[in-house]
Amino acid sequence: MIALWLESVAPELTLVLLGGILVLLDAFTPRWRPAFAWLTVAGVLAALGLRWLVAAPGPVWVGALAVDTLGRFADSYILVACALALLAADPYLSRTGARYGEFYGLLLWAAVGAMTMAKANHLLVVFVGLELLSISLYVLNAFHRQNLLSLEAGWKYLVVGAFSSAVFLFGAALLYGAAGTLALPAVAGKLSAPSPLAALALALLASALAFKLALFPFHAWAPDVYQGSPTPVTAFLSVVPKGAALLVLARVVASANPQELTGRWTAALAALAVGSMVLGNLAAIAQRDIKRMLAYSGIAHMGYALVGLVAFGADGVAGVLVYLAAYTFMNIAAFAAVSAFSESEEEPHLINDLSGQGWERPVVSFALSLSMFALAGIPPTVGFVGKFLVFRAAVNANMVWLAVVGVLASLVSVFFYVRVVYYLYMKPLPKRKPAFSEPWPVKLLSLACVVAILTLGVFPQGLLRFAQEAAGLLGR
Amino acid sequence: MDFASFPLSTMIFLPGVVGLFLLLIPSRAVAFHRWVSLLASVATLALALFVFQGFDPSQGGFQLTEAATWLPSLGISYRVEVDGISLLLVLLTALLQPVVFLSSWGSINDKVKGYVVAMLLLETGVLGAFLATDMFLFYVFWELMLIPMYFIIGVWGGERRVYAAVKFVLFTLAGSLLMLVAILYMAFQYKAQFGVLTFSYHDWMALRLPMGEGFWHSPQMLAFAAFALAFAIKVPVWPVHTWLPDAHTEAPTGGSIILAGVLLKLGTYGLLRFNRGLFPEAWDRSRGLFMVLAVIAIIYGALVSWAQKDMKRLVAFSSVSHMGFIVLGMFAGGVTATQGALLQMVNHGLSTGALFLLVGVIYDRRHTRMIEDYGGLAAVMPVYTGTFLLATLASIGLPGLNGFVGEFLILLGTYQNHPVAAALGATGVILGAVYMLSLVQRVFWNPLVHEENRSLSDISWREMASFAPLAVFMVWIGVHPTTFLTLSEKAVQKLLGG
Repeated sequence: MIALWLESVAPELTLVLLGGILVLLDAFTPRWRPAFAWLTVAGVLAALGLRWLVAAPGPVWVGALAVDTLGRFADSYILVACALALLAADPYLSRTGARYGEFYGLLLWAAVGAMTMAKANHLLVVFVGLELLSISLYVLNAFHRQNLLSLEAGWKYLVVGAFSSAVFLFGAALLYGAAGTLALPAVAGKLSAPSPLAALALALLASALAFKLALFPFHAWAPDVYQGSPTPVTAFLSVVPKGAALLVLARVVASANPQELTGRWTAALAALAVGSMVLGNLAAIAQRDIKRMLAYSGIAHMGYALVGLVAFGADGVAGVLVYLAAYTFMNIAAFAAVSAFSESEEEPHLINDLSGQGWERPVVSFALSLSMFALAGIPPTVGFVGKFLVFRAAVNANMVWLAVVGVLASLVSVFFYVRVVYYLYMKPLPKRKPAFSEPWPVKLLSLACVVAILTLGVFPQGLLRFAQEAAGLLGR
Repeated sequence: MDFASFPLSTMIFLPGVVGLFLLLIPSRAVAFHRWVSLLASVATLALALFVFQGFDPSQGGFQLTEAATWLPSLGISYRVEVDGISLLLVLLTALLQPVVFLSSWGSINDKVKGYVVAMLLLETGVLGAFLATDMFLFYVFWELMLIPMYFIIGVWGGERRVYAAVKFVLFTLAGSLLMLVAILYMAFQYKAQFGVLTFSYHDWMALRLPMGEGFWHSPQMLAFAAFALAFAIKVPVWPVHTWLPDAHTEAPTGGSIILAGVLLKLGTYGLLRFNRGLFPEAWDRSRGLFMVLAVIAIIYGALVSWAQKDMKRLVAFSSVSHMGFIVLGMFAGGVTATQGALLQMVNHGLSTGALFLLVGVIYDRRHTRMIEDYGGLAAVMPVYTGTFLLATLASIGLPGLNGFVGEFLILLGTYQNHPVAAALGATGVILGAVYMLSLVQRVFWNPLVHEENRSLSDISWREMASFAPLAVFMVWIGVHPTTFLTLSEKAVQKLLGG
């Protein structure tokens, strides 16, 4: 008899139920809408607490879901990102008059999808998670439905997402043909003699995930979707699906990586990493809209994170995990600031509009500047720690050249990150005053991110140990 | 906690912590920010003197070690300690910082809070970089200086400040990022040889990367090159010096003082400590190359200085020339030349710092740096003229003042093995006299043609107070350099002999 193991998915159950309740509340008691955000944050924190309270039993449901330390890391990461995105979302929604329960419900379901994906040890379960995540995001991207850009973003993400889902399924089907199973731990044993079929299957799986990660050359959707989506959704979108997809990729690489294929994996992943780092950073220089700039920067950052995977081994995966944690704080701080600075959703978010704001709105500007320096990888921020660890893994794997490409790419990136700081502090303020100051949830969020970026940057030991413990499960 | 038992860490972090505290104080309290930052820097100087007093110059090795675990799983620890080489530079830094704060009272009136916070954070980075003996820690401090300096140039600088600030950041990072890869490479090479992952400078001294037959294609030469590029950009060695004139010219007075006085020394310090210490064979092999570059820098910097119309730019290019001397002395080898180079680092910090300070004094009054806008100031500002002349003479190496001792030791040490380089370098001394004295003549002695210069007020007590400490040490080092040379003698002998 199969045990139900319900307590091991208690966080997911909580969030799914809460999402449903919020949608119903919206329909029946719309005057409670201002409280929805706080209800959701409370639910997310409760889920986070549950994930840590309930012992991690390891693989459950015939090994389909790995509720272990790695799963715990993934869930913590996703839930923290979700809570931070919610803090950014509330002022935004109240300003645009769109505090609907659906928004929070969809965000929670998307988070559950990502959590499922990141913990899944079976490709079909991965697919279920992927679809739950993607479908929720299609709606969220187009949530600002009076805005053409937002509709465009939703539509683009739908088309690309559906396409990549199909590619993923096709890859999974071929892998089933080659290995006779879709359970990742079992695949490891079955692929001892790699066939062209298996190689094709893995290539398709990697491509599908590369779409989600917006890696070069599968990145073309990212700038438009980032730009058009409501900014808090962009914050969520830039962090959570990417992290989940990266973990799936790490699992696939770790399990379907027999000796004969290692060379090909290395070549393919290195090509993706180098392409993303170079293209992302070069294209970001040319951007005038800060959301588009952050989209290209996100492409580059997934390239850096991939460097940790190219190196294989627990060392590299630990680097990737730390990188994801770092990326969460810096990226969400940046998007929250962008959201706080934009006065109208109809207009583009020009970097030019930040002129002189540094002295007017000090808290949010400080957080934005710090996140820029962190994204550029300058110590003592957590962004530096993440970069240090992935480049360290590359050097350890005798790929000094990859680390050199990485640091040169990040040198290029400094130019456009620092430009944001330049506009904030070194350009004069235009004549008109800002329409509103800093709403307190955004201030709170900014301070939380600043503290996280600096504390984890100076004392990364705890995060590192957590990541190493989690990554040990994927090492070989 | 007993701070007296952790003097180095207290000294390193005191300015930074005060800076973070000031961040919380409203920016309206301008006087409060000024006084607290000045007091913090004076307290740091006091701590530096406390360290000096506890330092034993008869030992060549590192002393007053303070260590703690930081990232044990990566082999990274927190470790700061001092030897004769770093002590001199720490004292210089601690001395210059109050001068910077005092000098800013007249020139920085806008966004004072941001300025003092950036300066205090910068001081923490500088002191940490001089004292760290864990390579990861060193790298963190090294990069920590970048952001405050970017703000100092970019926010409070001159007209082309943003260009200068971005150029400064990109140049500095271009070098240091490759150094980061080299640091990682060294760590894993050490692990491959000794089986332990560590970033400790002491442990790495035992590591000798292999040298190949050709000039470049060997691990040691490549790692050496990555380190040397980072430091050479900071020094700056010709031809990677182009960021310097822009950064020095556009920075506010205090920023220029700290840039010229301290930040450039990090480059020469890094070359001596890390390139000489970790890659001795590669150092020997590239000796000729660096001496050629140094001689080019000496002559080129001097000639370009001569042609400048902007006082600050003139002093900036003179730095290229003077720093060339220091590089020449270090690469010429031998204890004499290296000691001279080390002393010259301090000298250059004092005299160029003083020159930037004094240029700032008249800039605050006239808001122009063009030499042609002045003339005949000796009659209007007699005391100021005297101070400027003292700084000039120190800079061009008049016997009895500090610059002479350093240049003499460098040329003496260089001549023993490389007479041609010494002869070419010596022309830099002559050219130095030419451009500096012609500057003095055009600003102070020529006829007073601009009417607005007649009403200039002489140097104030506050400005005098910021100049005085520098003047004291210019004379002290000039008359009795042994005080300072004995501090570093054993450490230099150990580094060169070990």
